[in-house]
Amino acid sequence: MTKITIPIGPQHPLLKEPLSMKIDISGERVLGGSLRLGYVHRGIERLAQKRNYVQNVHLIERVCGICSHIHTTTYCHGVESLLNVEVPIRAYYLRALMCELERIHSHLLWLGILAKHVGLDTIFMHAWHDRELALDIMEEITGGRVLHAANQIGGVRFDLDEAQVAMIRTAVEKLHIQVEGVLDVIENEPALIARTRGVAPVSADMIKKYCVVGPIARASGVDVDMRRDNPIPPYDQMEFSVVTLPDGDALARILVRVHETRESIYLCERILRDIPEGPVNTRVPRKVPAGEVIIRSEAPRGELFYYLRSDGTDKPARLKIRTPTLAALCLLPEQMSAIQVADIPVVLAGIDLCVACADR
Amino acid sequence: MGQTNIESLCSKFKSQLDCAFDVYTEIRNDDTFVISPDRLKVVVAMINEHFDGIHLSTITAQQREAQVDVIEVMYNFFQGVGFSLMISLPTKAPEVTSIVSIIPGADFYEREVAEMFGVKFTGRSETPPLLLPEDWDQGPPFIRNEVNND
Repeated sequence: MTKITIPIGPQHPLLKEPLSMKIDISGERVLGGSLRLGYVHRGIERLAQKRNYVQNVHLIERVCGICSHIHTTTYCHGVESLLNVEVPIRAYYLRALMCELERIHSHLLWLGILAKHVGLDTIFMHAWHDRELALDIMEEITGGRVLHAANQIGGVRFDLDEAQVAMIRTAVEKLHIQVEGVLDVIENEPALIARTRGVAPVSADMIKKYCVVGPIARASGVDVDMRRDNPIPPYDQMEFSVVTLPDGDALARILVRVHETRESIYLCERILRDIPEGPVNTRVPRKVPAGEVIIRSEAPRGELFYYLRSDGTDKPARLKIRTPTLAALCLLPEQMSAIQVADIPVVLAGIDLCVACADR
Repeated sequence: MGQTNIESLCSKFKSQLDCAFDVYTEIRNDDTFVISPDRLKVVVAMINEHFDGIHLSTITAQQREAQVDVIEVMYNFFQGVGFSLMISLPTKAPEVTSIVSIIPGADFYEREVAEMFGVKFTGRSETPPLLLPEDWDQGPPFIRNEVNND
């Protein structure tokens, strides 16, 4: 049968962000594909060299519109390591609270998109309705739903009073009940299971070869989570489960993320229970001593890597960012081989694309 | 896994490779080994075999202010703990063997370093630009002494 190449993107209804793919098909079979990034490349690493460390907090937050907080958390932790400052423990807890809320909102956003792609609009509506609760909490805490400006070098820019803690507790409890409901539907919905079970399975061996991280790796049985394996505070003092499943197919990728959402809700509850009293930030000098640091953290999509080098001035000499989506995209052409054309949206959605992150 | 494995890896370097390496101690959180570019592929192959599949976090390149004639390339790994391999390439003709045949996940990282720093990775297929526009003709954006980035 004749081979046909279908271009998808950079602008396409299937894509929420610009990405160009060329997919080779023969009849209903996909033979393979290639992709091209760069349509939202903003040169953030280069721009960071032109701004001082404080200005960069706001630049870094704009790497991604979904996981903006984990970027600033990782960056600030790197700068604080070079400064050798002691960040108040309450600030670490507040950062972690925001990180977990961000994970909840990111996973529910993704679940809605996947449900939409496979034609299950009811799950899409429920997931995005529940996600609003997480966004409401973040808005209540920081004033921002997408960009939170919560972090500063030396701590955080916000604190919680008793009324806010009570409000967050109530909202998290409600979220807990609703996520349990969504999980129940997903685990028992025959249409969803039939549509995703066995679709585009990826073996643990393949995950390791392509250095894929985060929920995609865990859905293939690779037990890796930077919160546990290379923790930044306060995760070194917290116990939580790392969810892994052996199947590696589209259904496993759904289930891992929904179970992780539940685990993040537990973590929010524990943070609110255990958060110590005290200051939320400390003053730091503008100039950072010469030095180099590598920080790894767990973003909603997996391992986030930052390399930071200071030459002793108030601007970084080099900032390198590697986002988890970039690692996952490397596997995409491989995943695209030997699937049906109708499975393309399921495979794409299963990656949880964040093109802005990958492009930087 | 962890520190013990890194130490055993160091011993393996010393016993099996006729390859001098230095430990670069300036980077916090990661053990960093400085190796010769011509030994990169064999060292990566050894590491990959040692750990039965190694996780490459990324490839980081930079040009230090005091050494603009050198492009420094770091291969950042994670296996319980982070560690890196560092090589130095001449800015005028930066070239090194690709490791994609050992670690396919290095593909995008090599392409990004190629575009941003002009490093040529040999032994791999030619690919279109990953991040820069296809009609970009102003040279690698991160090369300090050749391009005015302001």
